[in-house]
Amino acid sequence: MRKRNDLVVLSSDGEDDDCSVSSSNRSYSKPKSRSLIARSNPRGAKKARLSGSRSHLSKESSNADEIRFFCKDFDEVFNGFKVSAGFGGSNTKGLWVDKYKPHSLEELAVHKKKVEEVKVWFEERLRSSKAELSNVLVITGQTGVGKSATIHAIASHLGASVCEWNTPTPIIWQEHLHNSSTGINYTSKLDEFENFVERIRKYGLNLSSSTEESKSPTVLLIDDLPVMNGKVSFQRLQSCLHLLVQSTRIPTTILLTDYIKTDSADHSGRCLEELQLCLENAGACKVAFNPITNNSIKKTLSRICRQEQCNTTAEQIDLIAKVSGGDIRQAITSLQFFCLKPDSMHSLSLRDTTTTYSREKPDEVSSMDDGFPLQFGRDETLSLFHALGKFLHNKRDTENAMALDQDEFPLQQRLLRLPLKMDAPEKILCQAHGQARPIADFLHENVLDFMSEDAIGDAWAVASYLGDADMLLSTFRGMLARYNEAENVLQSAAASVAVRGVLFGNAHPLPSRWHAIRRPKLWQIEQSSLRNKNEMVKRRFNGYSRPSFSDFSVVTMEYTPVFKWLGQGITGGLETHQALTQCNETNDDFDKMSLDDKESESTDDEIEDW
Amino acid sequence: MAPLLQSSQPWVEKYRPKQVKDVAHQDEVVRVLTNTLETTNCPHMLFYGPPGTGKTTTALAIAHQLFGPELYKSRVLELNASDDRGINVVRTKIKDFAAVAVGSSHRQGGYPCPPYKIIILDEADSMTEDAQNALRRTMETYSKVTRFFFICNYISRIIEPLASRCAKFRFKPLSEDIMSSRILHISKEEGLNLDVEALSALSSISQGDLRRAITYLQSAARLFGSSISSKDLISVSGVIPQEVVEKLLIACKSGNFDLANKEVNNIVAEGYPVSQMLSQILEVIVEADDISDEQKARICKKLAEADKCLIDGADEYLQLLDVASNMMRALCNMPQEFPYES
Amino acid sequence: MALLVDKHRPRTLDNLSYHSDLSARLRALAQSGDFPHLLVYGPSGAGKKTRIVATLRELYGPGVEKIKIDSRVFQTTSNRKLEFNIVASVYHLEITPSDVGNYDRVVVQDLLKEVAQTQQVDLGAKQRFKVVVINEADHLTRDAQAALRRTMEKYSPNLRLILLANSTSNIIAPIRSRTLLVRVAAPSEDEICQVLKRVGEKEHFRDVEALNQKIAKDSGRNLRRALLMYEAVHAQNEVVTEKSLVPPPDWEALIAQIADEIIEEHTPARILQVRAKLYDLLTHCIPATTILKTLTWKLIPKIDDELKPDIIRWSAFYEHRIRLGTKVIFHLEAFVAKFMRVLESYLNGIELDFD
Repeated sequence: MRKRNDLVVLSSDGEDDDCSVSSSNRSYSKPKSRSLIARSNPRGAKKARLSGSRSHLSKESSNADEIRFFCKDFDEVFNGFKVSAGFGGSNTKGLWVDKYKPHSLEELAVHKKKVEEVKVWFEERLRSSKAELSNVLVITGQTGVGKSATIHAIASHLGASVCEWNTPTPIIWQEHLHNSSTGINYTSKLDEFENFVERIRKYGLNLSSSTEESKSPTVLLIDDLPVMNGKVSFQRLQSCLHLLVQSTRIPTTILLTDYIKTDSADHSGRCLEELQLCLENAGACKVAFNPITNNSIKKTLSRICRQEQCNTTAEQIDLIAKVSGGDIRQAITSLQFFCLKPDSMHSLSLRDTTTTYSREKPDEVSSMDDGFPLQFGRDETLSLFHALGKFLHNKRDTENAMALDQDEFPLQQRLLRLPLKMDAPEKILCQAHGQARPIADFLHENVLDFMSEDAIGDAWAVASYLGDADMLLSTFRGMLARYNEAENVLQSAAASVAVRGVLFGNAHPLPSRWHAIRRPKLWQIEQSSLRNKNEMVKRRFNGYSRPSFSDFSVVTMEYTPVFKWLGQGITGGLETHQALTQCNETNDDFDKMSLDDKESESTDDEIEDW
Repeated sequence: MAPLLQSSQPWVEKYRPKQVKDVAHQDEVVRVLTNTLETTNCPHMLFYGPPGTGKTTTALAIAHQLFGPELYKSRVLELNASDDRGINVVRTKIKDFAAVAVGSSHRQGGYPCPPYKIIILDEADSMTEDAQNALRRTMETYSKVTRFFFICNYISRIIEPLASRCAKFRFKPLSEDIMSSRILHISKEEGLNLDVEALSALSSISQGDLRRAITYLQSAARLFGSSISSKDLISVSGVIPQEVVEKLLIACKSGNFDLANKEVNNIVAEGYPVSQMLSQILEVIVEADDISDEQKARICKKLAEADKCLIDGADEYLQLLDVASNMMRALCNMPQEFPYES
Repeated sequence: MALLVDKHRPRTLDNLSYHSDLSARLRALAQSGDFPHLLVYGPSGAGKKTRIVATLRELYGPGVEKIKIDSRVFQTTSNRKLEFNIVASVYHLEITPSDVGNYDRVVVQDLLKEVAQTQQVDLGAKQRFKVVVINEADHLTRDAQAALRRTMEKYSPNLRLILLANSTSNIIAPIRSRTLLVRVAAPSEDEICQVLKRVGEKEHFRDVEALNQKIAKDSGRNLRRALLMYEAVHAQNEVVTEKSLVPPPDWEALIAQIADEIIEEHTPARILQVRAKLYDLLTHCIPATTILKTLTWKLIPKIDDELKPDIIRWSAFYEHRIRLGTKVIFHLEAFVAKFMRVLESYLNGIELDFD
């Protein structure tokens, strides 16, 4: 917050200097507003609620910049921002996302139970702030599930004001140059956050205390933690949060957005999980928000349609709701775009005064192609786990609809399978952003759980298909680096073989019931085996008083067991395995945790769909 | 670098014929080439044939006879597979050498010294197709001042445009008596004692490859001194004694798996290389009279598969045991697989 | 504490206890002043390394036993840093290029070049060349072998190579033809017994002929293993008798257990149990090939003769796949599943239509 104020001051100072500086001003103020827009604006609305001085300043600064520098393209959207920031919902223009922002608990599309949970938490904290309760709440959930909207709505319901810390706009290079040329030290986002936390800890929120002086209670909302790269900054952030959790006296909410993790090795995803874990360990409460259900989205969409008087059919709304993937912000944006007509959209960007198009030509909408909204729909992403679930459960139609085909192309009985009750496996893979290697590993880890007791033939068939997939993946290992396409073909072929092999091979799948999907233990094994290997390679030089060294396999297979017999306390015997895996477990703790989380998430809502 | 010790010079080099007419057994080739030497008009040439039949020797001898020791260095470029011969080398090194102009023809120190240079490309069949194509252009451009000698084992691996520009000479495998006479000559020079049995063993394990025979002889001489028996030669060559192969076959014929297994264990423990074993089994099987064609086919198929697996680095013991158990089934006319598996 | 196997390792060619004709030949070779490149091959535990070290001593004298361990850093073309350990004396050095996996070519090339270009430091050295011993030469990649071949030609005045391998099958022909092949066969069981007896005398162990024979048999003609087992037995028992138990290595015991489980029950659930054990083995760096091979050994005696060739076939098949693939567990498990299936249908005697 402070930083932002500084910036504004800085820019006005800079204008006095000379042209070159002012041009550099220009170049950084532009991206700044861009980034505001990129966040698709609900935050713009939030700013209206911020306590006095700051909102005032930022508005002023943006007004000043806006007139001179903004590209035409952004005009409209920016106006939307201004409108929502300055004049509330009085104008009919603007993004619907802001316009129809929930203002009361009833309008929230979030599940009632979750809202209640958060509300109760706040009530408890606001009632007795001296209690031993921890003052930090962590809310997790994917984007657009109404995390911040819930906080705002609850706060206004309880009559509290929200003070918000946003990740400051990233500093771009020119800005940095300018700063350093004018002698201002670069402060990273992390530094700012640390300062901020330090202040909060020591003085509480002095902003609000100066103006409103305990008239209304304040809650602090920390959205989007600073981006961290590298271990050091990560640890700093971690300890900083830890401090915050333990010392803050104001009810504080931290929002963590789950990105969709296709790859468990994804670094930032891991970091978030680790943070979450660390927050919880420090005593913070955690509430996980699930994607918003189809029905809730549909209800909200129809409400908006009624108010905007656009003629959308129930099917269209249904479609939009479906493709949104539980992201209500996405759904509303889609609806707004859907209700636009291309040519009027054009005019919209040229003339500020154009009224919302949907009002002019409400009948156009229904004539649109039904498939159209899919274009701006959110990717229909399935989580990797859902995709795996589909493959593993291997749901098929119960009766053979292919009776007719059989006559034409006779197949041996043993090769016959009932039709699949799902999309083509490749499509599912694509939706889940599945990589061949992890998919194969996951299938390998889990498939045996989904087989009937005595289907050893099936087990072999599946195992051999997975083996085939592995062979495909390791063919030309690295040799094809130059031929990306061939590599890609291999990858997708391998994924196909793995998935279809599992589907085909498991000829007698178990009737559907709930199974936890485990993370491949294989990864852990590979790591610990590598570690052991390095250990032993090292040891073969210093352990033996011998004039030369022996083959590695000899060390593992012949020397190590003997050392164990002789009780020489050298690790590596099989009993020590327990200890070893345990230490692995602690190392991989957050991995495992994340897995559990994923599991519990999926247990929450989607199991019955599987 | 210091000069090589005389004793460590390979005999293959030491006894390499210096004159075309000394090249053993390749009578037609020698006749044609002697003619060429007299007229000093020589085309591009392509020598092909199995290893150790005198191809390189011939090429080198021609070059020496044409230029003599003084001019040899500046007029002849030798490249073999151990040199880098990618397309870049063809484009630069070969081209640069080919492009150099040479003085007119005048005799020097009794050597004809024709007005061209010679580039000898040994093991040309291991060149990539790209490199060969690049060569083709070079050959045309500089044909006035440069002659190319290609040497290869498989003519089919030389691209047609190159082959068609050359006079082709086929070198045939050496017959046993020619080989024996050469070997005897060398052992006399080196003061070795070779009995008749050893001599015939040497020609049979080297399979018409004189270079291999000489190499074996030298290795054996190093290890066993001047008196060399056939057993010594076999141990040096890495060839597996015939009894071992026979024993395995007998075990397989018995139809008793455990017996075959024991034999295989033995072979591996003795350290005989399995790939060598496979090729010797192949020889025995193909030539055996008491094995039907179908049985031979079944066994050979398995041998081929196992050989491929070995090249991929598969475990020797399992592969040999697999071959043995397969051979057992084939020889005892058992079904290839257990009947329930079709 | 040094193990018996190291303590009583013969240091000179004269002390070697078997293959005496081979020792005589190696001595002749070392004394001839015309030492060629060697390719020494034979099964594990046959005494290849011992013979080479003794030969080096014959070449250079006892100075060759003063060794130190060097750690070098190599840079690959992709600028990755590789750490690589070398055992070296003034006269020779010993490397295991397969330690660095696919980067072995870089190591072979750079290191050998460096060695070849530096002259022998010790002017009083008996030989003017240095020797480089390359362990696990059969694990070298083709690239590395090609590089080796060029080095051999280029630097032969200053450098002699001794390659150690379990078999020549994986060594390219040009290298085989440029080296002197020396086969070291595994010692026979009798020879192992003699060695055990001799070691026992020096250590004042009680000599139990029958026990020695048992150890020799169990060792699979691997002298190193036999000595290790011998030491273990004597360390664990106050008084050894014929009936003293020779403990198998822990991993082998575990594989035997797996074999029993596989024979006993043929279900997916059992595969899962086996998987846990396989993971255990892999964690302890037991090579997958060894696991599969040992498992096959343990399974073979438990099944009918009729089935054996089939099991061998699949074992060989999956072992090949282990080589080619990356995730060994997939293939190990496929073998287990296949075995269960074959056995199941064999026992049921049903003519199934499956493939």
